[in-house]
Amino acid sequence: MSDFLERPRTACALAGALSVIGNLPDVIPIVHTTLGCGGNLANSTAFGSGYLGGGYCSGPAAPSTGVTETEIVFGGADRLREQIKNTLELIDGKLYVVATGCMTEMIGDDTEGVVSEFSDEGYPILSVSTPSFKGDSYHGYDIVLDGIFNKFLPKASEKNPKLVNIFGLVPGYDPFFRGDLEEIERLLKELGLEVNTFFTPGQTFENLTSAPGAALNIVLSRVWGVELAKNFEERHGTPYWITDLPIGPEATDKFLTEVAKRFGLNAQAAIEKGNREFYGYFERAADAFCDQDLKFYAITVTNSTYALPLARYLRTELGWVLADSFVTDNLTEAQRAALQSDIPLKFATGVQEIARLINLEHPRNKGQRYFDDLSPLYIVGSTLEKRTAQIRGARHLSVSFPVYDRLITDRGYAGYRGGLHLFEDLIGQIMSVKL
Amino acid sequence: MGYYEQSVPPVRDSRLKIGDSYIGHACDLVSCSREGCLLQKSRSFWQANSCQMALSLMMATTVENSVIVMHAPGGCGALLHSLSVQSAKGKAQRGKAPNPVPWLTTNLTEADVIGGGEKKLRETIQYADREFRPEIIFVVVTCAPSIIGDDVEEVVRQVRSTVSAEVVSLHCPGFRSRVVASAYDTFYHGIFRGLNLSPKPWVDFRPLPEGSPDNELVEKQYQYQKSRTVNVWNATSIGPADEKEVERLLTALGLKVRFFAEYSSRDELRLVTEAALNVSMCNVHDDYMLKYLEKKYGIPYVIAGMPIGFRHTRNWLMKIAEFFGLEKEASHLIDYEERLARKAIQPFLEQVKGKKVLFCGGVVRVGSEATALAELGFDVLGIRAYHYDEGAEPVFEDVAKNLAETPVAVSNQLFELTHQIKTLKPDLVLSHNGTQGYIAKLGVPSIQLFNVDGAFFGYMGIYQILRRIVFEFKNTSYRDRLSRHTKLPYKPSYFEGDAFKYIKD
Repeated sequence: MSDFLERPRTACALAGALSVIGNLPDVIPIVHTTLGCGGNLANSTAFGSGYLGGGYCSGPAAPSTGVTETEIVFGGADRLREQIKNTLELIDGKLYVVATGCMTEMIGDDTEGVVSEFSDEGYPILSVSTPSFKGDSYHGYDIVLDGIFNKFLPKASEKNPKLVNIFGLVPGYDPFFRGDLEEIERLLKELGLEVNTFFTPGQTFENLTSAPGAALNIVLSRVWGVELAKNFEERHGTPYWITDLPIGPEATDKFLTEVAKRFGLNAQAAIEKGNREFYGYFERAADAFCDQDLKFYAITVTNSTYALPLARYLRTELGWVLADSFVTDNLTEAQRAALQSDIPLKFATGVQEIARLINLEHPRNKGQRYFDDLSPLYIVGSTLEKRTAQIRGARHLSVSFPVYDRLITDRGYAGYRGGLHLFEDLIGQIMSVKL
Repeated sequence: MGYYEQSVPPVRDSRLKIGDSYIGHACDLVSCSREGCLLQKSRSFWQANSCQMALSLMMATTVENSVIVMHAPGGCGALLHSLSVQSAKGKAQRGKAPNPVPWLTTNLTEADVIGGGEKKLRETIQYADREFRPEIIFVVVTCAPSIIGDDVEEVVRQVRSTVSAEVVSLHCPGFRSRVVASAYDTFYHGIFRGLNLSPKPWVDFRPLPEGSPDNELVEKQYQYQKSRTVNVWNATSIGPADEKEVERLLTALGLKVRFFAEYSSRDELRLVTEAALNVSMCNVHDDYMLKYLEKKYGIPYVIAGMPIGFRHTRNWLMKIAEFFGLEKEASHLIDYEERLARKAIQPFLEQVKGKKVLFCGGVVRVGSEATALAELGFDVLGIRAYHYDEGAEPVFEDVAKNLAETPVAVSNQLFELTHQIKTLKPDLVLSHNGTQGYIAKLGVPSIQLFNVDGAFFGYMGIYQILRRIVFEFKNTSYRDRLSRHTKLPYKPSYFEGDAFKYIKD
């Protein structure tokens, strides 16, 4: 993990933390580092995640200590104290989270000590340690949610047997986090459950405070949010279930069946309704899909959360032929092992490295009269794969961070509706350039 | 040893009188800067912003056939994804190949922060050279390696002989200056220390054979062409339409125009010294480089503000014309151009007369655009400059003369902008990129203070600015509705008090 990286598709722990905080209702960040970190890091998701933009108090609105040479030499505690005091005075929030950056960690500021001066007085404030050299944005997600749920929020006095928390999708770094979470929420509500997804406009601060009383935590990633869920169980006694994000009807049927089983419910009605709706649309599109012969070899290049669900959808629902599935996250051996399934994965991050691996594995026609090459090819990845696809004459859709070539609002690919959306986007991309 | 000989460039804070926190009027600002009191000012509450690394990267990504190596923890390069997209567009607009910018990061970990990252940096540079075969590798040194004291210059010195690319180091730790304009100096420092700025024989020119009878004529032709060649120094905020307008005007005076340093390649940069004059288009952008070129190569320079609006454009063109003895020609050209443009803007002026405007953004832009639009009948409510340094003095002396009563703030802070918009109630805001969404959420019409897809400079520029303003007023429904559904993070009590209450001495 200590190697250099080419064009990593993530930033630092602080970036992940800021993206999480910036998408939580009424939670205010206080960035304890230089003035530039807060703005630059927020920009990476504000633009690079389908133009997610700034929220209530993130990006250039985020309070920041803006440490300079003076604080590097003499310590940043006084500046932090002053910044917290004035943030509490000026900014209207229900929870304030101090997140550190590299500089203040390197000089050894006692951030927790300063923050405890305020929390002791009853202010809703906590601190998290999020320097870049401790991990990337995905780690930042775990670190900041661990701070909020497992250190800040008190244990629930009683459990709500119908309540579930959804973890695993990282705001910004999973560009469709809002649409995906909304579809998961919609589906689980059809089973009669109550759902905390935290990051969508429909959620409020009360979804955060009610979380410790949940009966189950569902982690929609085999890698991210898992540590958080383990610590959550230890502190609040809520069990967790790690599963893949369901994309399309086959995966969603299984997902609902499994959730229903855990709660002693029956998913049959929701599954039938979901399929009726999905196929009501999907079936009609069969004319265009088949008449125009839109069958492809597929290569996916995504983070670990999307890799298996996306590949499975393309193989199962569209009947495409999987050629490669790249996972671009920087993972440990144990994390890689957790991703084992019937779909073989390749682990690579660099744009150049991935393009080279594709070309090595699937050579191109060099003028042979008869040649069984990998075409027609569809590369479903990030905007960084656009050039790779162009060079190979492949179709391309951006679904993974960074996404610069489309704007995303409530679109998601999870569930039945998401399965339709993904179909629409994959095929719409072809239709839009046909004329 | 002067700044130019140092391996690590100075930050602006040590080179110039500078500040980022001030409220008052233009004439007090100028004297506050001269007396040094501006240096002492700060805030007791800050919002996140940008840093000199971000702007250094912005400039570096425009250079063709280059690769960026971030010597940094993994997060610092995150904004390069968007800069790569931005620079590809800029390259395409200038007829250059819109290739994405490859970049790498040494991805410093906890162990590297303790043990040093020099070995990793060397490996990363060598990989970048091998894999991408660039002309230039920019080594960008951020906060963390600057604190642990990695000797990047030594690594670069050693690695140069092992790679085919030129290696240019850009030292831009954000903690050393809150003023992002330091980036311009950093970038130029890297360029003149890392690249050869003289033409190469046989590559760029054919040396004269000794004793050839043609030599004198060839030499004369060369000298004549050089004596009519002007380097105009661009900036990330200056788009191709502005370059085109400036080129059109200077070409009309019989000059040959070349733009540097953004969107230039290594081979183009090598010819930078083949000119009679260097001309800046922004007072605080280029003085470090132009003074270097004067000192090292004896090329004079002109820094005469920004060619925006009638008076500033006239002044800018006349200063260049004076150098070449073309005052009469320039004066004719300007009169002619003004006549056409003034006639063209007439219908717009009637519609915008007396509109109350707030200006927000780069120090030279806000000062120049405010005085330019005031002369056309706008009511300037306030000027907000992102930073101030003594380079901007001529601009703000002009503001002091023409807009003496107008409040001037030095602020890049969103909460102060929000307060000013809510309390001054402008009809229109001209503001820096990055604030437009926030202004829309306040329900106030606004246009970009600059926009690389638009025209702002010269006669076409003033026409297009006014056209855009009139266009803005044609329908404001989007922002009217948006503002009704947006909650601000600031407590209401803040808007009842002083916008600048957190500025301290």
